[in-house]
Amino acid sequence: MAIKDPELQHLQDSSAFADEVSEGRLVTEQMLLNVGPQHPATHGVFRLLATIDGERIVRAEPVVGYMHRGYEKLVEQRDYRQITNLISRMDWLSGINNELPLALALEKLMEIEVPPRAQYLRVALAEMNRILNHLMFFQSFAAELGAITPTFYAFREREDIQYAMESVTGGRMHFGFFRPGGLKEDVPKGFIAMALASIRKVIERLPDYEDLLTGNEIFKQRTINIGLLEKEVAYAYGVSGPIGRGSDIDMDVRRDEPYLVYDEFDFDVCTAPHGDCFDRFWVLLHEIIESAKIVEQALEALPPGPILGKVPRVVEAPKGEVYIRTENPLGELGFYLVSDGGKRPYRIKIRTPSFSNVSALPHVLRDTLVADMIAILGSFFFVLGDVDR
Amino acid sequence: MDIDLTAWQILIVKLLIILTVVPVGALIGGYVLHKEMAHMQHRLGPMYAGGWHGWAQTLADGIKFAYKEDIIPASADRRVFSMAPAVIFVPVLLLFLVIPIDRTLIIEDLDVGLFYLLAIGSVGAIGVLMAGWSSANKYALIGALRSAGQLIAYELPIVLSAAAVAMLAGSLSLVTIVEAQDWPFILWPPGIGLALFMLFILGAMAEMSLPPFDMPVAESELITGPFTEYTGMRFIFGFFFAETAHMIAFAGIGTTLFLGGYKPIVPWGPLEVIPGIIWFFVKTAFMIFLLLWIRFSFPRLREDQLQKFAWKFLIPLSLALILATGAWILYGPGG
Amino acid sequence: MALDHVDERLERARKPGFGIGLLKGMLVLLKHLFKRNTVIQYPEVKQDLSPRTRGVIALKEENCTVCMLCARECPDWCIYIDSHKETLPPKRKGGRPRKRNVLDRFAIDYALCMYCGICVEVCPYDALFWSREFEYAEYDIRQLTHEKERLSDWMATVLPPLELEEGAELPGQAKPATATTPAAPAPTQGATAGTPASTSSSAAEARPEQVTEAPKTPTAVPEASKPATAETAAEPAPETAKPTEGLKEATEEQQMDASATTTPEPAAKIDAGGGVAQEGTQAEVEEATAAETPAGPTSSAVTETPVAQPPAPVKPTPRPEDLEAPEAAYTRVVEAQKEAGSSPQVAEARAKVARVKAERALTQARAATPQQAAADPEPSGAAAAGEPEPAQGPVAPAEQDDPVPAQGPVAPTEQDDSVPAETGDEPQGAAEPAAEPQSAEGEQPEAAAEDPEAVYERVLAEERSKGSSDPVATARAKAARMRAIKGTLGPADG
Repeated sequence: MAIKDPELQHLQDSSAFADEVSEGRLVTEQMLLNVGPQHPATHGVFRLLATIDGERIVRAEPVVGYMHRGYEKLVEQRDYRQITNLISRMDWLSGINNELPLALALEKLMEIEVPPRAQYLRVALAEMNRILNHLMFFQSFAAELGAITPTFYAFREREDIQYAMESVTGGRMHFGFFRPGGLKEDVPKGFIAMALASIRKVIERLPDYEDLLTGNEIFKQRTINIGLLEKEVAYAYGVSGPIGRGSDIDMDVRRDEPYLVYDEFDFDVCTAPHGDCFDRFWVLLHEIIESAKIVEQALEALPPGPILGKVPRVVEAPKGEVYIRTENPLGELGFYLVSDGGKRPYRIKIRTPSFSNVSALPHVLRDTLVADMIAILGSFFFVLGDVDR
Repeated sequence: MDIDLTAWQILIVKLLIILTVVPVGALIGGYVLHKEMAHMQHRLGPMYAGGWHGWAQTLADGIKFAYKEDIIPASADRRVFSMAPAVIFVPVLLLFLVIPIDRTLIIEDLDVGLFYLLAIGSVGAIGVLMAGWSSANKYALIGALRSAGQLIAYELPIVLSAAAVAMLAGSLSLVTIVEAQDWPFILWPPGIGLALFMLFILGAMAEMSLPPFDMPVAESELITGPFTEYTGMRFIFGFFFAETAHMIAFAGIGTTLFLGGYKPIVPWGPLEVIPGIIWFFVKTAFMIFLLLWIRFSFPRLREDQLQKFAWKFLIPLSLALILATGAWILYGPGG
Repeated sequence: MALDHVDERLERARKPGFGIGLLKGMLVLLKHLFKRNTVIQYPEVKQDLSPRTRGVIALKEENCTVCMLCARECPDWCIYIDSHKETLPPKRKGGRPRKRNVLDRFAIDYALCMYCGICVEVCPYDALFWSREFEYAEYDIRQLTHEKERLSDWMATVLPPLELEEGAELPGQAKPATATTPAAPAPTQGATAGTPASTSSSAAEARPEQVTEAPKTPTAVPEASKPATAETAAEPAPETAKPTEGLKEATEEQQMDASATTTPEPAAKIDAGGGVAQEGTQAEVEEATAAETPAGPTSSAVTETPVAQPPAPVKPTPRPEDLEAPEAAYTRVVEAQKEAGSSPQVAEARAKVARVKAERALTQARAATPQQAAADPEPSGAAAAGEPEPAQGPVAPAEQDDPVPAQGPVAPTEQDDSVPAETGDEPQGAAEPAAEPQSAEGEQPEAAAEDPEAVYERVLAEERSKGSSDPVATARAKAARMRAIKGTLGPADG
């Protein structure tokens, strides 16, 4: 075997070479493994430059921007209703939660009162979307670990909820339903029953998912104490949402700074102390339960009345700026809306949860195995549209 | 009517039997796989190909693959690349030589049938290494190395559990082993039988790279591991056919060793009228169902966890079971 | 706040299970193996989609007036419209030749369309509809541009809109009975009108909220939604809200709904105020007037309100002090109109209308409760000059036509009433003497009811605003006070 490294050439002819090997001082090179941007395990066009030493990742650097569509520039050229339809494509798994901060920001600037029926329906739809999102990540995490069955179960539950949302909004993924002041139109007859039935079905089947995954020893072996994200590090990177709560950050905008009518509902915020993949998954599953609780309370207590407040025909935000934080299923979504008093915003700065979440990846991926990288990427719930906007 | 055939003719007939039965069996096995997976996942599976519930799906898949372009990467080692699927597939075919379908229905009743099985079964590992190495692909290489390590590690539980069975039966000939089994099959010797069966199942699943031991072919990471660069017929023969035929073979072996082969489940009068073939197929079908069931349920083990599981748990357990079997034979009621 | 029981389960879940969990997982799959399958085998079986499903957009050509709103609002610019103008002969002899827009080309490029539905939403003439058909995939992308004919063909697949869920409000069908309860919190806003927190938003409130195609009075104010905490302090107040407020809400609602349905027909809404009625502002005036007409709309132009009559008899007539003072109404409307950017003439006209209505309401209220008249203070602007907060307490809610801007108009208008000079509006100042005889007229039957002191203050303020010197102002104020005590008529009255 020829030794290519010039520094070690002197070993070529000597038996000391064998000693070097046996003493474990043989120099090895680190390999640069490019994960993505096309890769089944990453949630989209996400590139990870991993420097690996054997099976161990020495350093991992995420490269984002492959999906940058220039949202913050696009919205400068569109009026608010067009933005509502555009912005739900940012984090496409939680479509309606993207429209929410925009509507809230406009309501705050224009000082519009939203009727309670609209508030309750907004909460119901937003939480249903949260369940959709969480089911999606539940199945994607399982699929990346090799469990192919949860995918189909999750999509079956999603189907019922999406059908209910389609009967209201007309869309299954991109809704374009929230308007400043309320909703576009009221819900059709039978929606409440349909939505409640679909939510209850999800809750009914949740123990199945727990059996299938969280109770599974193989799953536990792959996720417990893997991908540790310490609380301080999570704070430093601004990690929020189920990932943050899985690292014991007790923060939920719905409870801390209630918007809409969240302060009227009884729900818990689930956190988990360990900060590993299992905990993040655990938080994800339990958030489904909490969201279902909220949907039930909202739809059962739905007050009668109008679903749109008094809004001018042409939505023009007055001059001013406002920052609205909401709890996107993936974390804290913030819209900083600067208006110069026109039909179009002057600037909207979007603070997306996935961007901050992804920025914690290099820390988490240090000194992990390549196979664990997949599990960690799976347990980090991010959507590329949200990261790159 | 007695048909007098020369030895050569008999050989050709036997080869033809294998060469027809095995691929057909693989097709049926593939169909069962699709359907079982689908229904367990609350969906329907193939419904169109062939009209009635998609029975011809795997046949259509096979024909489709025949149309595919045969691509060999430029920097690949052509000869090794071409030979690797054969090295994987032929041993699988050869496995069927010694499996007894009925008392007298066996292609070749070797006296060392079990030994032959285990030996032939290990040749596949070389094929996997050949495939991965010659592909000139980093991911394929990683997959091949993982696979080789896994195959070697999980040979031992299979071999040791089979050895224990041979000890209990007192012979390596498969027909004798079947004859030596009595109802209840895997429950005897108590505890040991079941444990040996579990060992065999786990080892077989790992040998075939089925989940939860499919790290080498972890689709979400390495696409298809050592077979990433393979297309068309090479892929079908080296990967899909091999896997399905292998599964049927192992199901057959498992039936033979643990479930009583062609014997009726319960030695009850009316049941014994049913020919042994039927029993064999029923039991093999059950084995296939079991293997697939486990396959769909679990996420995959990480490579090092897989190895740990084999070396630190399964192999010591199988060694212990060998001791226990020996003790049973010497001091237990089996005699 | 992590719950303990969750933690417990988490810790238990994290413990190794020695294979039992694996078996449980396998059992789940077995269970599903035997469950009935719910797969819809497309394309033999199709899912029953909702009528609202955004499948394809259909065009009803005869409704299209080529206003180009859809093409303008489309975020993708995928609607291509061509038209030309035609001149038609006059309808009758000597008439003007009519011009008409003729639609030449109306195409939607579905390769670009993002299926947002803005075009369907903005079309004022209901020419575009959603259909749930989605199977129009083509091999050639150019075929995905559907022209007029194809779009009209899609109309055959358009389904009628769905019946709405219980509790939904259809345009023109307010449910005031149910609205009373949620309307209860509304007065609290008025109660907090005086608080500083709301005054900050008052300026914003004064801005008119024009009515959109589906405006509904927020009968129940979603206090929780507003970040401002002023309202939260008023939360307990709902219990003590007077029923009259509910009626007010109801009538406003009726007015609102009435105006709501007439968005495409501005002509019907022109009131005595004159001037060009923009759809929105007209409705706003309606709200303004509605506040003062608890017995029902007095505006003849509003014809849709009969729908909302039933609740009226149930409610008691509001007491005079609960109603908005005419002057206050005037100034409020003027301010609102100014903010909306109406021309001064329009603003003045509408304000006059509002004042007239307020006076009529006062008259009726006083006529209904003569015995209370003596005891109650006159809820006029004069009272405002005195103590805005206590006197205006009951009045303030009355002034809120829409709970949202409720706080707003009260504060500035009060100030306006007390210091009219600040507004410095010529039309307003000029209108005031004109307003005075009317208000005096209105006061006539209830002269005894008005507090003489309040009269004094009011007249004093008015004189000062007109620029009269001090002795003149005090003299006139004293005279007015005497007249109020004696119940005689003055030079301005009659």
